[in-house]
Formats: sequence, structure tokens, C-alpha cells
Amino acid sequence: MGIFKKRVNDFPTPYTCTRAIREGGLETKLSMLLMGFGNIVHGQRIKGLLYLALEVIYVVFMVVNGIGFLGMLPSLGSVPQEEVWDEAKQVYMYTKGDQSILILLYGVATVFVTVLMFLAWRGALRSAYKAECLAKEGRHVNNFVEDLKSLLHENLHRLLMTPPVFFIFAFTVLPLIFMICMAFTNYSKIDNHLMLFDWVGLDNFAALFDSSSILGSTFWSVLGWTLVWAFFATFSNYIFGMIISLMINRKGTRAKGFWRFCFVLSCAVPMFVSLLIMRTMLQPEGAINVLLRNLGLIASDASLPFFTDPTWARVTVIIINVWVGVPYTLLQLTGVLQNIPEELYEAAKVDGANAVQIFFKITLPYMLYVTTPYLITTFTGNVNNFNVIYLLSGGDPVTDLASTAGKTDLLVTWLYKLTIDKQYYNIGAVIGILTFVILAIGALITYRNSKSYKEEGGF
Amino acid sequence: MKKRAVAVLLAGVMTFGLAAAGLTGCGNDSAEGGTENVRLMVWSPQNDQSKDNGEWLQTMCNNFAEEHPEWNITFVYGVADEASAAGQVAQDPEASADVFMFANDTLTTMTDANALAKFGGKYREEIEATNTQEVLDSLIMDGDLYGVPFTTNTWFMYYDKSVFSEEDVKNLDTMLEKGGVSFPFVNSWYLPAFYIGNGCTLFGDGTDESAGVDFGGQNAVDVTNYLIDLEQNENFKIDDLGSGIAGLRDGSINAMFTGSWDANSIKEILGDNMGVTSLPTFTLNGEEHQMKAYAGSKAIGVNPNSKNMEAAIALAVYLGSAESQRAHYEMCGTIPCNTELLADESISSDPVVTAQNDTFNNTSILQPFVSKMNNCWTPVENLGKGIRNGSITHDNAQEQTEGMNEAMNSDGI
Amino acid sequence: MAGQKMHSAKRKRFINNSIVHVILAILAVIWVFPIVWVVLTSFRAEKGSYVSTFLPQSYTLDNYVKLFTDTTILNFPQMFLNTLLIAICSCILSTFYVLAVSYCLSRLRFKLRKPYMNMAMILGLFPGFMSMIAVYFILKAIGLTEGNLIKLALILVYSGGAALSFQIAKGFFDTIPIAVDEAALLDGCTRWQIFTKITLPLSKPIVIYTTLTAFMSPWLDFIFAKVICRANSDQYTIAIGLWKMLEKEYIDNWYTCFAAGAVLISIPIAALFLYMQRYYVDGLSGAVKG
Repeated sequence: MGIFKKRVNDFPTPYTCTRAIREGGLETKLSMLLMGFGNIVHGQRIKGLLYLALEVIYVVFMVVNGIGFLGMLPSLGSVPQEEVWDEAKQVYMYTKGDQSILILLYGVATVFVTVLMFLAWRGALRSAYKAECLAKEGRHVNNFVEDLKSLLHENLHRLLMTPPVFFIFAFTVLPLIFMICMAFTNYSKIDNHLMLFDWVGLDNFAALFDSSSILGSTFWSVLGWTLVWAFFATFSNYIFGMIISLMINRKGTRAKGFWRFCFVLSCAVPMFVSLLIMRTMLQPEGAINVLLRNLGLIASDASLPFFTDPTWARVTVIIINVWVGVPYTLLQLTGVLQNIPEELYEAAKVDGANAVQIFFKITLPYMLYVTTPYLITTFTGNVNNFNVIYLLSGGDPVTDLASTAGKTDLLVTWLYKLTIDKQYYNIGAVIGILTFVILAIGALITYRNSKSYKEEGGF
Repeated sequence: MKKRAVAVLLAGVMTFGLAAAGLTGCGNDSAEGGTENVRLMVWSPQNDQSKDNGEWLQTMCNNFAEEHPEWNITFVYGVADEASAAGQVAQDPEASADVFMFANDTLTTMTDANALAKFGGKYREEIEATNTQEVLDSLIMDGDLYGVPFTTNTWFMYYDKSVFSEEDVKNLDTMLEKGGVSFPFVNSWYLPAFYIGNGCTLFGDGTDESAGVDFGGQNAVDVTNYLIDLEQNENFKIDDLGSGIAGLRDGSINAMFTGSWDANSIKEILGDNMGVTSLPTFTLNGEEHQMKAYAGSKAIGVNPNSKNMEAAIALAVYLGSAESQRAHYEMCGTIPCNTELLADESISSDPVVTAQNDTFNNTSILQPFVSKMNNCWTPVENLGKGIRNGSITHDNAQEQTEGMNEAMNSDGI
Repeated sequence: MAGQKMHSAKRKRFINNSIVHVILAILAVIWVFPIVWVVLTSFRAEKGSYVSTFLPQSYTLDNYVKLFTDTTILNFPQMFLNTLLIAICSCILSTFYVLAVSYCLSRLRFKLRKPYMNMAMILGLFPGFMSMIAVYFILKAIGLTEGNLIKLALILVYSGGAALSFQIAKGFFDTIPIAVDEAALLDGCTRWQIFTKITLPLSKPIVIYTTLTAFMSPWLDFIFAKVICRANSDQYTIAIGLWKMLEKEYIDNWYTCFAAGAVLISIPIAALFLYMQRYYVDGLSGAVKG
């Protein structure tokens, strides 16, 4: 798709790693072994010492723990828990067995640290080379205070980006890599591989793509519904939110603030609370059915099958999602709607178009054009919309008794059932990866055709 | 390069944390005078620790500490109810309580996670001496005992004495002619009672994993057909998310099936008219069959990762002793299972205790806790839901019952 | 003729206006209705999660009183304070992260800018809670899963990923004319000064928008909170507490209190929301370029 075209380097620097190795002086070359040596030689003592300290920390860590962690990674541990009968105390004593999940996590973390260390090593080398070159040319070599000051100006991005990026790596990227690894193991309740598990290669993917298995057929049906849901959930909110916004903000409407207040009020109730309340309200004996019975609209012992009939359930979750989502859409789109150039409307009015025509011919195309990134985010958000489905219908109803997923289960809620309820962690991870792949392809194609992509000019 | 440098440094520090956590171990530093410093973490349901119930757990733990001057014990309390304790402990056994309470159906969840220690020797003898074999069986796997039982865990029937006579409550179908009955139809802890009543079996006698589940065949199909009719009976209401007790409150329901945890609420609603009894029979094809509940136990377990195994085991046994069970009953209403206590007049006269024990002894089967039992919950629940929403009818009952049976015997993969 | 035409146009407008107002009124009722129901339920005197009448038969304040006095089973005031503390801290951290990252991406040009933006997009596509067990073990490894440190752990978890959703704030910064920055640079300001003294004061709507969204997430999350708090009931957040009230053992006694709790936590959020509404709209309309 040409996404991975060779990136043009916008930030050329003469101080590259290869040149440092090839052309650097003795002190620079020594920096390869002793990080920061070059900096120390050229007067950047504190910087150099920091690099050196980093290297020492890393080496100590690797010797004490890191190598052990890495060494366990291929086998993921094999020592089971042992018990010994202690006759004197009359109790069983237990030895600690290996715990594959921790071995995997620590192993991945060690690899992670090593990669970061390698980047730091390159940084140190380049920094040493730069200091050497500057010194040779007789130019000024920054001292530590000047380095610190540069963080507030030309290197401001380093100051501002480092903490957030650090936390993203610690709490998002590292767990994610760990999760991806699980997809290639037999970490599951089946045959009791919860404590000790092994690498199994692509077996789990094969199981999922084997359409004759229950898992395989469930996957495709759940995927189908997930996409249908995401489509309707996204566009129903989008269009409905726009219509309400237009109605509130049109010239003739009075008490705009009041109307907005009515809709925005529901944002204030935490989403999981309003969803749980909706769920109880829509049960066969719930408030809605009671109300309908009291009003005489349905027989006194009848109830509408909101979550018990497959079609009803699917429609219900989409409608409830509108209830939950429209207030946000309203807030998010109002401003954008007001940005639509007035001339477009004027022209349409002159041509004699009515409100509906104007909406579909002008407002909608304009909005679609402008808000593509927003739509993509919403769409992916809906594919992964755990809360609405889990809290409302819980995936019900299930019509195929053999299947682990119900008719309203999304990939993400199904994944939750498989991992948390059934403890099939490996299968859950596979589904997570596939969800990602599907989303990524869809998002990339749409994104690359969008206006903002072309403007920003890069992905 | 600063940014990277800092990032790496932080990452290094973090990894040191990882390393440190791997190395730490709380040593038992011996204090002077021969007493040993011991730290015990104990998890129980909130109920057992609340001031309203006289802080049963804290009281018992302090008594225990007094009885054992050789240990200088520091207790740390946490909250985990019996049903969810297994999940919490299994998530990370190392950082979990030394002593905790669990429902016996979660036994394999914990043994699979190396999170449950065995009891042996004098402690096991002590436990065996004060419990019936049925209760012990619910905690024995491959001949090893995994917990100290403190109560039985099952469900039975509550009814309104002003509506049903003692004769009526012996048969479900008779009851349905006289008043509203609600049953947790879409809950797979309850629904199998009908199938088991008509001869369906789970894992042979409940412990033979290879025997598999037998919820198929004509006797199972008959039950499905019976359930379809039952669901359509005007006097029958499905109890889901608390609708049963609400119906009892407004009078639309006169009998419901639940366990001892609802006793107080129901007492409040029905007052002296509250009747409690073991399960009724149901009439299938002209014959009476006995409904049979799953019965299990709640027990006190010990974490194999405990640093103070001896103290932990001793505490568990103490918390399950007659003395503790009596206090548990008096403070929190937990029904005891200790044989001495059950013989005690003041306890056995409680109708709820009688009903629970009658159910346990006569109208129940031991709830299997083999690993594969995990596959048996969802299909039954889905069958109940299918009947409720009308997708399972007399026409496809055969096929759907077979589908359920198949699903109960498969991993769903 | 002309007068008649004008008259009919006026009539048409009147009819249109009426129709719009009627539709709006119906929709508003639909939207407000469940909230009214929650509020009514929170004052309901009858216990239980179901009742056979739609409106409560009698009203009481006991549910609110119970929330604050009956603390031995579910300590609502404690949970409220926990959540408030976590929300304030994580909101400060996340706001800083989001604004800092957005500013860098919008105004500064550096080598890792594009890779960062791509990474953020990719990470956004993975279902987040898949990794919660790993997050738990990472937190455990740095020793944050016991005692009061759990609060810190939750703060880190809630703010940790914040910098991935920079799009809206970046879009807003993009709309501030770059000439302002250039003028300041000529005057000898450092970029840090530009960020803190010029850009931020100009971006009040987006700062408020970011703060508001960040403030809300700890009140809503029950999945991560449960995995991280485990048995430490003194560290529970509101969301876990409300969730617990709906469990089998509690639902009958606590359902009306659940409604009361929901109303209580909605009040501060609602107040904030209504007050900040204008900024919310402004922030977003600036962000998505027209």
C-alpha cells in the first residue's frame, strides 16, 4: 500500500552513529565501550558521567537479573510447585514453582530495557562524536547547564515529551507486547496451562481460522455483527446528533440553552450507571414494561423482549447507544456545524432546496469531508465499545447453545468472556490481535483518503 | 540525547523495581522471648468484618492470637467474598491472603493456579472428626483435603404459609395451581435441578472427569419439554436480577427458590408466614420426580505461598472450629455445618438451618468441581434464556437439548 | 400579492418552528426521562430493585442517609474521597501530558514527531483492557499494589495513556496563528515561555475541555480499578462501590442507595459540565478545522 515507503529524513545531522564509528577519534571509539567517555574528555563531565552511570546500572541489572530473565524466556519455566510434608509441624510446605506469566513479563521487560539501552548507547556515541567534532573545529561545546537550558528552548520537545512517552511505554506498549506474546503460547485453562505454559507458534491462529470448529464459526459471526454494530452505532449517533444540533441552533428556535441543557444532562450521569439503569429498566419485569402495562399498551402479563429476542436486542443496543452517545456528539459537532460557510446555504436556498435536501446535499457531505478523522476514531471506538454491550445486554441472547458468544456480543466482549470467564488467555489475545488488524486496515485506507491526511501530508 | 537518556534511566529504575520485587521475601524475624513475629493476611466477605455483625472475623482472629502466645501475630484484613475470592487469589497467589474463604465450586480454579494448600495430619483428623462425609467430599480432590468447611452452600424454597399448606409444598405442580411461584430459570446454578431430578448425571458421581456430562437422551428432552410448559404457566414467574423478592414484596409471588443469604429479607416481608423447606418434587409424564439442587460448601483455605504455613493452617482450622461457627451463626447468621453444633437444640430449631440441611442431605447432589465443570454453566443458562425468549419450543426441544449436552461436553474451541 | 406571499412565508415559518419545538420537546423528554427515574428511585421508600409500579409509592431521604451512615458494609464516603483524590491528581497529570504533547506536535518539528503520531494511532486500535493483567504485574513489580500506594497506581494508570489522545488539543493549537510564536521568538522568548505564557492563556477552552474529560474517567472505570484494588476495600473507588451494590448479596437492600449514589456523583459532574459547556463546544470547534 506504499505506507512503508522509505521515509525522507527531514532532520539530517552530520553526527550519525556510523560516522562516529568510522571517523571518530580514539575517545569517541572508546565511548562505544565506556559510554560517555568522549563527553568527559571534551569537558562535558556531568553528561558523560550520567551516561556512564546509566551503563553501570544496566550492566549491574543484567548481571544480577536480566540475563536470568532472558535465559528463561525460551522455555518459559518448567519447575512445578512441589510439596513436602513437614511431620513436626503437621503441615504441607510448598516450594515456589515457576510462573510462566511472570517469566514472560520480566523477559519482555528485559528485552524492552535492552532496546532502550541500545538507543541510549547510540545517543552517547553520537553525542561523543559531536563533542569531538565541535572541539576539533574549535567551536563551543555546551556544558551541562547550557544543555539543561536548551531543554527549555530548542530541545523543549525532549522535556515535554519524555514523561508522557515514558508512561505510555510502561503502561501501554509493554503490556501490549506482552499480550501479543500470549497469542503464541498455550496459556489457557484447557489442560491446565495457567501456571506453566509453552510457546506453541501459530496453533491458536489455526484454531480460529478453522471454520469447522465452534470457535472459527463463532469468530466470523461475531465479526460480522461487530462491523454492522460499529457502522450503525457510529452513523446513527453522527446523523442524529447533527440533526438535533441543527434543530437547536436554527434561527427560529427559542430557549436554545434550555434544550441543550436537557440533552447534555445525561452526560453527567456516569455512563456505566446509566447503562446499568437502562438494563434494569428494560428487563421483562423492568420499569419500561411496567409502565407500558400500566398504560394498557401491552397485556398485563406480557413484556417486550428487549434483550431476549435477537433482533430486538440488536436494535435495542443501537438505540440505547444513541441515547448515550448523542449528547457527546451534540457537544462535539455543534461548533463544527457553525463553521459551515453561510454562502453554501444561501446558494441552496436560492435554488429552492428544502431543509431535508439541504441537509443531505450540503451539510452531510461537508461534515463527512471535514470530520473524517473524527469518524474513524468513533468507528474504532465503537468496534471496541465494551461498556455499552457488556453492561446492557451482556451479549445476550444466545441462540446457538454450543457457542460462547451471544447475538449482541462484539469481538471485544467475547474476548472478555473468553479471557476472564473461561480463562482462555491465548485465544483472547489472538482475537485482540485480529481485531487490531481489521481496524488498522480499515482505518489506514480511510485515513489516507481523507482531507486531513492530505493536508498534514504524512503518515 | 537527554530525552532518551532520561527515559532509559527511568526504565532502568523501573526494572530494578522488577528485580527487587523478585528478590524480596519477608523473613520471620524472631522476636525476643521465643515468640515468633508472624504476619497473617486474612480475606473474608465484608459481612464478616462489619461492625453491625460484631466484627466476627476480627474477634475470632484475636481469640486465636490469645490462644497462641508462641506467635506474635499481626493481622491484615481484606475483603473478598467466597465466590470471587478464587479469581482474586488466582490472579496473583503470591500477593494474596494467607487465609481466605472460598466456595468449593471454585476449588479447581485455585488448585490450577497453585493457590490452595492441602490439610494433613492432626489438622485433617480434627476437621474430619467434626464434619459429615458429604461435606468433606465437597473439599476432597484425589484424596486430598483442601479446606476447612464452615457452612454448606445450597438453595431451597421459601414460601408463604398463608397460601400454601405443608402438603402443597411437596409438589411444584400442586403449588402452581394455588399461587405464584418464581424460580431462577435463567441461572445455571438452579436450572439443572430438574434435569438431575430426572436422572441426568454430571461426571459420573461428580468426580469422574472422563465420564463427561449426560444431559442428553429422552429423559433430558422430557425435562426440556416440561420446562417449556412450566415457563408458560401463568403462575410461574422467572426470578432474575432480584425480581423474585420484589414480587414477594408486592404479593404477586408466593414462593421462591434461593439460599440462606436472603433469609432476613424474606423474613422481613413474610413475617410469621415465612415457610422454609427443602425442594419439592415435580410431575413429569404422570410420575413424580424429586428436584435436586447442587450442593457444595464454603470453606476456609490456606495459600501455599504463605510465609507462615503452620500459623496459617492453625488459624484456618480455628476459624472453622465449632466455637467459631457458633459465633458466626450468632453474629452473621451463617449456618454451621459442624456436626456437634447441628445436634444443638438452639441451632437445629431454626427452620432455615433445617431446610438447608434437609436439602443438603436429601434433595441435592454434590456439585462437581472438576475442571471441565466450567463448561457446564453457560449452555444451561442459555437453554433457560432460549426457553424464556421462545426460541426453544416443543418442536426443537430434542435438537436444542442435544445441543446443550454437546456444548457441556466441549471446551467451546 | 406581495403581502400575501409574505404572510404565507410567515405562516410557514411559524408552522416549521412549531414542528421543531414539538420534536425537540419529545426528544428532550426521552433524554431526561431515565434521569428523572433515577432521581425518583433514589428517593423511593420501598426497597428492592423491582417494583410493580412505575413511580415510587412513597418517598424518603433514608437512601442518602444510609449511604453516609451505613459505612460498615460499603463505605461510600471513603470511596468518594478516594475517587476525588485520584480524579484530581490524575486530571492534573493527564492535562499536563496532553497539552505538552499536543503543543510539541503542533508547534515543534523533531525527528520522532511523525513516528509518535503513528504510534498513537496504532495503539488506539487495540482493545485496552486486554493488557490489564500485565499492567497489574508491572504495578506490582514497582511495589504499588499495597496499601495507600494503590491510589498512586490508579493515578498512574488513568493518566498513563492520556498523551495518546492528543488529536483534539493539537487541532486547537494548530488554529492559533503561528505568527504569534514568531513575534515572541524575535522578542527573545524561549519556547518554554511561549508555551506557558502565550499559547496556554490563549487556549482556555481546550485546557478546560482536557481537564474535564480527564477528571471524569476515574469516576467511570470499574474494570482496572477492580483488578488493581483486589481485596483492599479501603482503596475502592466509587465505581467499584456502585458495582458492588448490584451484586446478588446487596442488590435488594442497596438498589435504591445505588440510585442515590449515582445522583450524588452526577451532581458535581453535572455542575462542572454545565458550567464548562461553552468551553467544551469552543474547544472542539476550534480543533476540527472547518
